[in-house]
Amino acid sequence: MNATPLFFVILGLPLATFLLLGISWMLGFSVGEKCIGLTIKTIYAVMFLAFLALSWQLYQDADHSIEINMGHWFVLDHYEYPMSFQWDAVTMPFAGLTIILSGIVGSFSITYLHRDPGFLRFFLLLVLFSFGALLVFTASSLDLLIAGWELVGITSVMLISFFQYRPEPVRNALRVFATYRVADLFILVSVFLAHQWFGAADWARFREIALDGSVAGVSPVMMTIFPILIVFAASGKSAQGPFCGWLARAMEGPTPSSAIFYGAISVHAGPYLLLRAEPLIRQSSVATGLLCFIGLTTAVLSTMMQRISTDAKTSLAYASQTQLGIIFVEISLGWHTLALIHVMGHAIVRAMQFLRSPSMLSDYHRLHSGAGGELRATGAHYDRMVSDRWQRILYCFTLFRGFHDAFWDRLLIRPLFFIVRLVEKIELSPSKDKRPQQSGASSPELPVRAKRETI
Amino acid sequence: MFSDLSLPFLSSGLLLLIIGAIICAPCFQLRSPRRIALGFLGLALLLFLAAFLKIHSQEEKIYLDPLLPWLETDAVDGLPLVVFTLVAILSVCLAPRRDVRDSSLLGILVLVAGTTLIYTSAHWVTLNLGWWLTCLPFVTGMFGPSEDRKHTSIALIASAVMLTIATVLLHASQVSSLSTISHASLVFFLLAVVMRKGLFPLHSWTLRAFESGPLLPKSLLFNSHLGALLVARAETSHLPEFAHQALYGLSLLALVTALITSLRGLTEKKPRRLMGLVCISQASFILSGLLASNSAGIMGGMLHWTVVALASTGLIAVVRILEVRVIDVADPTAHLGLAVRAPRLATFFLLSGLALVGLPGTLGYCAEDLLFHGVQDHHPVMGVFLLIATALNAINLMRLYSVLFLGVLPKNVIEIPDALPRERWPLTLLVMILIAGGLYPSLPISLRAKAVKTFHLSSPDASHHE
Repeated sequence: MNATPLFFVILGLPLATFLLLGISWMLGFSVGEKCIGLTIKTIYAVMFLAFLALSWQLYQDADHSIEINMGHWFVLDHYEYPMSFQWDAVTMPFAGLTIILSGIVGSFSITYLHRDPGFLRFFLLLVLFSFGALLVFTASSLDLLIAGWELVGITSVMLISFFQYRPEPVRNALRVFATYRVADLFILVSVFLAHQWFGAADWARFREIALDGSVAGVSPVMMTIFPILIVFAASGKSAQGPFCGWLARAMEGPTPSSAIFYGAISVHAGPYLLLRAEPLIRQSSVATGLLCFIGLTTAVLSTMMQRISTDAKTSLAYASQTQLGIIFVEISLGWHTLALIHVMGHAIVRAMQFLRSPSMLSDYHRLHSGAGGELRATGAHYDRMVSDRWQRILYCFTLFRGFHDAFWDRLLIRPLFFIVRLVEKIELSPSKDKRPQQSGASSPELPVRAKRETI
Repeated sequence: MFSDLSLPFLSSGLLLLIIGAIICAPCFQLRSPRRIALGFLGLALLLFLAAFLKIHSQEEKIYLDPLLPWLETDAVDGLPLVVFTLVAILSVCLAPRRDVRDSSLLGILVLVAGTTLIYTSAHWVTLNLGWWLTCLPFVTGMFGPSEDRKHTSIALIASAVMLTIATVLLHASQVSSLSTISHASLVFFLLAVVMRKGLFPLHSWTLRAFESGPLLPKSLLFNSHLGALLVARAETSHLPEFAHQALYGLSLLALVTALITSLRGLTEKKPRRLMGLVCISQASFILSGLLASNSAGIMGGMLHWTVVALASTGLIAVVRILEVRVIDVADPTAHLGLAVRAPRLATFFLLSGLALVGLPGTLGYCAEDLLFHGVQDHHPVMGVFLLIATALNAINLMRLYSVLFLGVLPKNVIEIPDALPRERWPLTLLVMILIAGGLYPSLPISLRAKAVKTFHLSSPDASHHE
């Protein structure tokens, strides 16, 4: 059987569902919970079957890699935006995880979000996320990966602010979005540089360059800058290094979204990108060292922060961050298979932990009674390894999240706002300090309860 | 190079707009002036669409109107005219009732007629006439009293005066085309562009125009993109070398505007001003693309022109719709949380805004992808700055979205309607166009391919070859 229709089912179903449900809602039609639930279960079941069929084809393929070329998204003279996809040993586990875990989380959420006002919104975002994540994991070039990368980012932010009537999720969603945008700059710059320096931005080209060792017109500086940009882009998505502050803030969203985004799929897009760009990263010792350093420092800091967290979801978020740091180190050391296995195992376990986190107390009591009413605290040997003074110092250090937020506030945000105020002062605007007189908006006849005839 | 249109599409369209404006004048006391205005605008749209399809299907470069040879249409301005007329229809449709009372509809139709005259002008006289005509509704206060009227009028008149001086200088030196433009004339020409487009440091009038007064007519004024049109006309006119260098300076100015306005947005709190900054910043990208001297950049600039016109209309319309429902929208002191009461308006706002800043799956993404590639090829540092500006604009947009739609609903907002059918259908159409264009960008690209070719034929390299 041809791989293209199967692949089309996997990638097209979530997008079609999103468009169909979204447009019908925009036009004023209402879709019931039962219908949404049935649709979600059906599409993920069909996608899973298509995934199995495609994986079987991959197993039978001599090269263990299926190329799916759908032409170009658009072409202009010499510039082409390729619509080519790849299904290989790296793609398959990530895509499989996305389909299976999204399906499980979808099924779980039908009950979890029953009668929630944002029921439809959640599932719209879930299918859009699935489409974005599958685009990331199946794209054969950075160009196409970016499209999925940004969709994953925006759906993530929308789900953090899912409970929009509370101020904290709203504030944190904005902070996460700003972090994402800054981190995305690295991948955007890298794709433009890849086109300029290497002539293309697809994985095959990266492997070619890595095999050749030296390419005409590509200097060692370029071979260092490009992987560094990729490392920072991956760090942004996986909450590592300079971007490690956002993951705990992202826990404001509903538990199923935390499971799929921050336990299972979204945060692992960073390691996926690193695995794809690994041939180029390995060419630069600076980039490899940076990757190892970022992973190691984040893992150490996060594991300490996890130990002082007082709520289950934040603790799980830091635990995720720790594991991701270790995965980064594994990739930097060239242990790709181990990293891949680690990603799979971590994603499944963490998703389960997140989904069970609302029932944690119940689970504890069950375990407690199962153990005969005696459960002793673990980890006392760690306390004995570190002196009381150092314990206090480390406690303060981790309590302030390693002074991470304060550092970036002083180094980046305050200087930026200082510049903005400077620009504001030189702007030729005579009215900026005055309150505007809105025509209509502030007219005296305007009631609080808007009169329909004036709208 | 020149050919006649089979029917007088342009003059008929223009005539329809003028007749519509006269009929919608307050002295006639019509019962439903909005429907009549929409009828005239719809007919004009069909005529302009027919003219554009004619250009698109034929090889000729310029088509003159058979009735009025001072009107023409070509590949560069054909589609923007259609898009602008569509934007005008959507604006009239979406305008709250209080915004289409008295002489407002007359003002809108005069503005559209003036802009159409500029887009279709084949002569400097019609260009100047159109330019002055677009100032008329604001100078005479057709949209009612507003605080910014004086400043907007001064800026518009200054721009028109600059263009008139450039034209007079051009004709004084017995020159009728831009290919032999003098230094003095070019300076006034560029000043007209800078004034009208609202480039740094003269961008504050646009911001002030957004801040107060009627919002939808301002949206139409902003989305006529006459500065970009003048630059496009200049770029396709075999300009001398010094003029190309001056235009390169203009593209740098556009970049500075994009960056500064995006930075300024970070500290801005008032929704109208914040929205104005995002729109000005994103609109500045158009010039950077048009002046990138390569196919990707020019195509990106042209597609972005369409995206800015459609997406900013959606954004502005939603804000205006909210303003008439909730008084706090004008200057909120805290988050308004309106998504609870108006989820559809929130969705339209978000989709329009994200399309404006290049969300994948919308036409904005393809436009920005091409634009950044083009600008990066032309000038790598400029490309990086544009990326930074887009990132900051996206953050500003999300801030605006969160202030208006997220957070705790104020206690005084008891009940407001979500998008009414009159608002829902046009906004859905607008969002659908943006999404359909993003999913199948080959169509808009093919519609603009001829215009890009026109740019190439007029580039200095092509002139040398000739």
